[in-house]
Formats: sequence, C-alpha cells, structure tokens
Amino acid sequence: MSTLTPDQWQEVSPYLDEVLEIVPEQRAAWLLSLNEIDARLASLVRALLDEQQQLEREGFLERSPLSLAGSRLAGQTFGAYTLVSQIGQGGMGSVWLAQRSDGRFERQAAVKFVSLALTGRATEERFKREGSILGRLTHPHIAELLDAGISADGIPYLILEYVDGESIDHYSDRHQLDVEARIRLFLDVLSAVAEAHANLIVHRDIKPSNVLVRNDGQVKLLDFGIAKLLVHEDDASLAPTVLTMEAGGALTPRFAAPEQVAGGIVTTATDVYALGVLLFFLLTGQHPAGENKHSPADLVKAIVEVEAPRAFEIVSGASNSAEKRSTTPEKLRRLLSGDLDTILGKALKKNPQERYASVTAFADDLRRYLKREAISVRPDTFSYRAAKFLRRNRAVVAFTSIALALVIGSLSTGLYVANRQRKIAEQRFAQVRQLANKFVDIDSKIRGLQGSTQVRLQMVSDSLQYLRSLESEGHMDKDLALDIAFAYVKVAHAQGDPTSPNLGQFAEAKQNLAQASKFVDAILADDATNRRALFIATTIAHDRMVLAGDQGDQDEALRDAAATASLIQRFMNTHPTETHDLYSMRYFYSNVAGRYYVARHFDDAIRYCQQGLDVPVPNKQGNGFILTVLAAARWQAGDLDGALKTTAKALELEKAEAAGGHASLRINLANGYDLEGEVLGRADAEPSLGRSQEALSEFQKALDIAEDLAKKDADDYLGRHNVADASLEIGNILRHSNPQDALAVYDHALVRIREAKSSVSTQRDEADLLAASSYAVRWLGRDEEARQRIARASELLNQAGRYPVDKVEPMSATYDAMRASADDYAETGQTDKAIVAYQELLDKLMAWKPDPQNDLRDATCISRTWTALASLLRRSGRTEEAERLEAQRTELWNRWSGKLPNAQFLLRQSLSQIATASAFAQEK
Amino acid sequence: MREAVRRVADAMQTADPSVSTLIDLAEQGDEVSAGRLFTLLYAELHRLAKHQLARQGEISISATTLIHETYLDMAAREGQSFPDQGRFMAYAARVMRGLIIDHVRNRLAVKRGGTFELTSLTTDVGEITSDDRELTRMSHALDQLARVDSSLSQIVDLKFFCGFSFGEIANMKGLSERTVQRKWEKARIYLHRSLRADLPL
Repeated sequence: MSTLTPDQWQEVSPYLDEVLEIVPEQRAAWLLSLNEIDARLASLVRALLDEQQQLEREGFLERSPLSLAGSRLAGQTFGAYTLVSQIGQGGMGSVWLAQRSDGRFERQAAVKFVSLALTGRATEERFKREGSILGRLTHPHIAELLDAGISADGIPYLILEYVDGESIDHYSDRHQLDVEARIRLFLDVLSAVAEAHANLIVHRDIKPSNVLVRNDGQVKLLDFGIAKLLVHEDDASLAPTVLTMEAGGALTPRFAAPEQVAGGIVTTATDVYALGVLLFFLLTGQHPAGENKHSPADLVKAIVEVEAPRAFEIVSGASNSAEKRSTTPEKLRRLLSGDLDTILGKALKKNPQERYASVTAFADDLRRYLKREAISVRPDTFSYRAAKFLRRNRAVVAFTSIALALVIGSLSTGLYVANRQRKIAEQRFAQVRQLANKFVDIDSKIRGLQGSTQVRLQMVSDSLQYLRSLESEGHMDKDLALDIAFAYVKVAHAQGDPTSPNLGQFAEAKQNLAQASKFVDAILADDATNRRALFIATTIAHDRMVLAGDQGDQDEALRDAAATASLIQRFMNTHPTETHDLYSMRYFYSNVAGRYYVARHFDDAIRYCQQGLDVPVPNKQGNGFILTVLAAARWQAGDLDGALKTTAKALELEKAEAAGGHASLRINLANGYDLEGEVLGRADAEPSLGRSQEALSEFQKALDIAEDLAKKDADDYLGRHNVADASLEIGNILRHSNPQDALAVYDHALVRIREAKSSVSTQRDEADLLAASSYAVRWLGRDEEARQRIARASELLNQAGRYPVDKVEPMSATYDAMRASADDYAETGQTDKAIVAYQELLDKLMAWKPDPQNDLRDATCISRTWTALASLLRRSGRTEEAERLEAQRTELWNRWSGKLPNAQFLLRQSLSQIATASAFAQEK
Repeated sequence: MREAVRRVADAMQTADPSVSTLIDLAEQGDEVSAGRLFTLLYAELHRLAKHQLARQGEISISATTLIHETYLDMAAREGQSFPDQGRFMAYAARVMRGLIIDHVRNRLAVKRGGTFELTSLTTDVGEITSDDRELTRMSHALDQLARVDSSLSQIVDLKFFCGFSFGEIANMKGLSERTVQRKWEKARIYLHRSLRADLPL
C-alpha cells in the first residue's frame, strides 16, 4: 500500500467520481465492467473503495470541529493571590475568585481580567501607578482595589475585594423594596461616591452591575475609577467609560452621560448623571432613554438629544414595576411625581452645569424628601426639557462618529477634551477622519474602472470644497490640522499619482500637495519633532518628487528629492518603531535614490540606497529594488566590482521574491540579470569587466524570463521591452562570432516588439533593434538590406521625435542609429561619408554637454566615437587629426586610471589602444 | 543600446498592497504575495483568538467562530474592497490549518504561559488530533494533494480544520452539497493512503 502518485491520482480520479456517485450495491457490477476495460485500474479503484470503508469505520477525520481554549488559569498567581475558579463574565473581561497565596488572611478577592481589546496601550507602570492611587480609597461601601498589574502574557488584571452580592436592581426587585427603601439603599451609594469625589476620584462607570448589594444589605460599589486605568493618556478611548457590554457581547453606551458620548470632559457631574440614571432605573424599572432603542447609534442619539421622559409617565398598568416596588401603579405614579420628579430632573440635566453641583447636594435633597421637607430645587417651568446643551449638529456628529466606531469595532475615536474654542474642531474631527478614509476606500475601489473618472473627479471636488470650508473656520487643533493635511495628500494622490491610474490633474495635485504642506509646516514650526507631522511632510515631499519627475521637471524633482531625504532623516531621528512607518521610509529612500540615479548623481544615489538598506525593517524582502539601483549606480560610477557584488545580492533577493512570480517581480528579476550581464561584459568597450561569455548567459536568462512574460500577456509592453533589451545585448555579443544567430535573436525581438501597441517607447526599441541588426545583416553580405534597416530606424526615431536632433545623448537610441549609419558607410568603403557622419555625431554628442571627466558612461561613449573616427581618419590619410583624437583619448583614460587604479576594463581600454596602434603600424 | 537609467525609471516602486490586492495577486499565481497573505492572515487569526480568549478566560473558542470573526473584523476594517467570503475562506482556511497545528505543537512543548490549547469537543476516539506529528504529516499530505487537486485540500481545510458544514462549504464554493460530499470522500481516501503509507498493512 503506497501513496498515490500524482499521475495515478489523475488517472483514477474521474473513476472515483463516477463510482462514488453510484449506490454501494451497484458498485460491484460497475467494477466488473471496468475490469473488462482496464484490469489494473479496476483493481486500484477497488482497493481504494475498500479503504474508504475502512476509514469510515475508523471515523477518519470525523473529529471536528476543533477548537482553541484559553490557558488554564486556575492555580495561577497574580500578585499575592492565587486563582481559584471563574465566577463570571464581566463587561470588560472574565472575573475569577482568588485567595491569598500565603494563606495569611481568609480574605478572598476577585481578579478581573481586562480584555486586551479594551486596554489600548496600557503600560504596566501606569497601571500600577493609577492602581495605587485608587487603592487608597477606603469606605465601607466601596469595594477596595487591592492590586493592579499586567500578567506575563500581557493581560491586564485588577484584584478587587470580593463582594458576594447581586446588582442593586436585582436585589431591590427580589426583595420587592418599596420606593423609600430603594432610596435609602441609594443613599448608601451616594455616600460612597461622595467619598470618592472628595478624593478627587471620578467613578466614570456607575451602573447597576457595578453596584452590588450583599445578602446582609450592605452596598458595595465596584470598579471605582477603573475606567481611568484603561484609558491611554493621549487617546481618550471611549471604551470602558461609556460602552457597556451587553449579554450578547455588543457594546452599548447605555449609562453614558451626554458629555461622555459627545466628547466632553468627564467630571463629578458625569457621575451625578449616572447616579440619576441609576435612580431612575431603580424607581421605574426603565432606562430614561427608553427600552426600545436597539442600535447603539440610536441610543447615543437619544442620550444626547432626547429629553428623558418624566418618571411617572413611564409607569403603566401593564408592567409589574409597581409590584416589584410593593405598591400599585397609581400609587407609584403619584410617588414619582412631585419632588422626586424634580430631583430626578435635576440629576439628569443634559448640561452638566445645571445638575446637582455635588453628590452631597443630591443626597441632601433625597434626605429632605424622605423627611418630607422642602427640597432645594424648584421645578423648572420647562422641567427638564430645558434648552438643549448641545447644538444639534454636534450631536449628529457625535452620533455618527460613535455609530461608525461601534460598527467598525474600533474603540478609539480619539475624541478631544472639550474646550469652548474647540467645539468646532470636535465636530469636524470625526468628519475629516471619515473623509480621508472614505475617500481612500471608495477611490481605491473605483479607480481603474471604466467610466469612474467622472465620479472620482466629483469626489475630489467635493472633498476639496469641504476641506477649504474647514480652513476658514480658523483656530485649529494640531491633530485636526494633520488630518486635513493628510486628506489633501490623499486627494492629490488620486489626482496625479503616476504609479497608478490617476486623473491626470497634475497641476491640481501639485497645488493640493502645497495646501497640505501649509498645514504641516505650521505644525512643524511649532513642534519640530511631531512624528505624525513629519511623516506626512515626508510623504508630501516624496509625492512632489515623483510628480515633478513624471512631468519631466528634473531640477524640481531633485530639489524635492533632497527635501525628502532630509525629512526622512528627521523622521528617523524620532526613533519610529511601527513596521508600517519603517516600510514607508525604506520605500521613500528607494525612490529618492532612484531619482538621483536618473539624474546621474551616482554618489548620492549610492548613499541613499545605503540609508534605505539601513532602515530596520523586519523583513529584508523587498530590498531587491534598492539593491538594483545600488548596483547600477556603482556601475555607472565606475566601481564595477562593487556593482557586481551588489547585483549578485540583488539577484539573490529578486530570485527569492520572483520565484513563481507576478509579472512586476519577474521583470525586476529580468532587470537584475540584465544588469549583471552588463556589468560582466558587453561586446564593446563599455565599462564592464570583460566577461562576455558569462554575460551572455545572464542575458539569456533575462531573455527567457522576458519571453515568458511577453507570451503571457498580449498587451504587455514591459515584457516585450525587456525582450528587446536582452536581445540587443545578446545579439551585440553574438554578432562578432556568429552573425546568423545574432540576426535570429534580433529578428525575433523585432517580432515581439511589433506586437505591442505602437508608442514612442516601442518605436525607440524597434529602432534600436534595427540599427543593431544592420551590422549582422551586413556581415552576412546583405548590404542593401542593412541600409534599409538603418533607414527604417531613422524613420522610426523621427516619428518618435528623436531624430534629427541637435544634441545626442550618449548611448541613446539616436546615438546607436547614427553610429550604425556611419559604420555602414565605413564598412561599405564610403570612408568620406563615414567621416562626415562621425563628425556630425561627435558634434552633437558634445552639444549635449557630457561630462567625460566624471561620468564613466559619457567617457566610454566619447572614447569609442573618437576611436572610430580616428581610425577612419587614418584610413583617409588624415593622420594628424587622428593622432589628436587618440591623444585626447589617452589623456582621458589616464585621468580615469588615476581614479580607479585597478579597474579591469581600463586595462582593456589600454590594451585595445595598443592593439589599434599596432594594427596601424602593421597596415603602414 | 541599453540604458540602465531608463530601466530604473521604469521600475519606480509602488507601496504595499492591501489584502484584496494580495489575494488578487496570489490568485494569479504570485507566490510572494501568497506568502505575504499567509503571514497577514495568520497574524489576524492569532490576534483575534488571543483577544477572544483573554476575554472569555478559559472558555474555548471554536475554530469556526474564530474564522468567521476574523473575516468580519478584517472586512469591516478594509471596507468595500474586501473580497467576499468565498475567496477569503479559501486562503484563511489554509492559514487556520497552520494555526491549529502550531498550537497543538505549542501545547505539547514544555512551555510557560502558552496561550492556547487545542481541545476537541467530542471525546477522543483516536490519537490524531492530540499528536502534532500526525497533524503535520496530514498537512504535508494536504499540500501534496493541493498540487494535484486544490479543491480537495481546500475542502478538508474548511471542513476539518475550520468546522464548516457541507452546506456552508457548498455555498462558499458554488457547488452542490452532494459534490462537496463526494470531494470530501475522495480527499479522505487520498489522505488515508498518504498517512498510512509507511505503516505496515
């Protein structure tokens, strides 16, 4: 019995399909008929069917579903306590019974684990520090906080005095306490809260489940100020203060005060409100915001906007709330009107300032009520339907942002501390953040879809309008300003990011980037190390650089590159650790290096590549691109050995990244091979190490990959372009030894490039190929055809706007075509025409203002041109001119050998010099 | 003639892709993206499981629930461009297999504070799920099966490791329930062969 090989499986699979469809009784017959056709196969199928029966019996793989369980907590120690058993599921996490590990006291404690989702970035130190502050609260009605800390697993825990009791509303209902008794119980609660307030501790989270009553009637308040432990200082998370976990696990703001949901300061007045809600609940059995608010968003809206109903209005005959209060509905209604109604109203005012100034005042009025004395508050003529504290749109914003937060499940909406001047900021903040995110969401979904342009244009225009309206409101919070800046960056991205389908609004994109930087610069002027601002500033500079480069404004692009580099440095100086940030910086460095490279500032390119490689990203994959740029830069700067080493590294990485891979990754690999090929050796005297045969094999690899890609994608230009490039290299090496094969290579590439949609780039590639192939054709004796190819090449370049021109860039397609033409004259005996052609080429080369002293590519190109011209001049008998050119060349290389003493290729240069000289000596 | 300059300008990079892009690329056969996707999904599943368990204490969470929650969580975060459940599950189920096997291994290793344990809800009938070596061999066999017929290995991932029912799988894959059952049978035959291959008859 052995594993089935893939082939066997392929073979037997369809038969299995068939036989498994047949009822077991009929399978024997089926097998027999299969046996007639193919006995071997039939016996295999039979064997498999037998196995199937066996595995059925075993119940193979039937054991499912699998599950994961938490670690065994029982018996683990936390602080001085050991866990005994789980006693429940709190709103914030699980709760365990624990005993002192040293057995010193009988005391039991409750250990509460706080869900990691709620803690944000609570640090152990702060946890302990805050914990010790809270631990100082002692009062008979407050459950003591004994300890707080973070477990080895990173889960925060709280150790509290264990209270064996039930929530106050259950207790009251179970004992059917009447209104008066409930109020007395409630007064105990108030005395606890008053004590805390005297110690400047706000509870923040008063609700029935936090107010327990023991069997002996003793009230104990839990979780005092614990919510504060869980809130990160800079990131006022809503979660524990406002959101309660319902039975189903959903979080709702049932007991929150209006200022809590709308982002105001939490003060003792907030506790007063919560106490008011609790009292309302105790007295009527209902929540003041009503029972039928299902969605959290609705609830928020109710809390913030809707005035609570009067207590007595709620009592109806239908519910048994009166019964639970040992009275009748009518009596209850009467009890709840009058002074109690007024007291509740005062506690439940939307505006914190209109509530009871202190819990003590609240308690005093309740005591007066119990003693039938006059209470302090006069009923409002408008009762507690007073003017709304919050402006309508603020509530809507709060509600929207909460709704959003709850729906998305993110618990930090980063609401600000209230401040008269920041009202607008609060309002707008959520909207701006939504804007930026929504924009990206929708935009990324529709971009690339046909016909989406209009929609995207509309969105851009709407967003801009909105952003501008924000600015006019003046006086902005730092974070808000950064959000706005970021939104502008996103908009600019959609308008003109050249690496993805963009709207082509480059000028506008530039403007919006400028807008964005206004905000960011202002922040940085004030706070030079604000990390977020630095990040956005770097993004802006980088995007500007890419935009300028794409638009052809090289100088601007370089300026932006320098700016980007310095901003990256500043950002890195703030010691960022977020992986995403690090990846972004590396990405920025790689493009900065690329920009310098394109501008032929190789030392700078090298430097930025190094810095990019130094960014401590966790995963070195993705370095392939930087290494390619580094290798190319080293090569161009003349450090050929270094270039080769780097290409080897780059290739290694790119091979890993491209294995199997997606087109763009494989193109990188093809480029890598190409580069290695070039560094190793070209046919002509390029800066190279002269290792032509090795080069050939590298180019061949590049060609294979490119061919593969070209075959797969009919529209793809890039693959075909790479086929052309690699073929050129191969052909140029091959043609010296085997023009026939070289021609085949060139012609195949021509077929490929002509498959792509015609463009300036394809024309350039085609011209290149035609010019290069003209040599091979001529060397096979087909002179006329060679000339035609050259003519066609010139025509194509003409169409592409690259010929005729006044200046010729070294190594460009135009250069190659002109040289091919000149060489054609030279090799067909038309020396004079050849000389004229070369002169023209040289003049135009010089007109381009190359820098042969410092730029190796320029040096090599000019040197070759001089060499060719010199030999022609000699042939014409114009020896003096020839000698002058040769002298210039020698001097050039002497200067270079001073710079790069051991460079192999220089050796080759001097060798070829010697060869030329001796050839002529012989000819003479 | 070649110009390295052109080449570099052509290859200016783009930034990191989103999950839906990764899935797109992986479906086109890009193994690097598939790898990244795997890492990402693994991290998500792990994180969510840890959260759920920290909240619940010792209560276990079923793999099915976990994978559902992860999907909802990620979909909510990434918004409308997030792929539909069918496509997501194809990858997530494979990742879940890895997650479960890793944690069986962790549990069996002598390790302080391991946050997970693997238990099965029914009583043990054999040794398979308690033994991480067996599971690892099964995983290898599944990977081999995937090369020959990926729909079969996916069904095993979905049914055995993630606990989906035939009906749910049928919906996700757009197949009839009967077809799913048949594929399950075939997969079991293949795996059974693979796992028993070096055991004496």
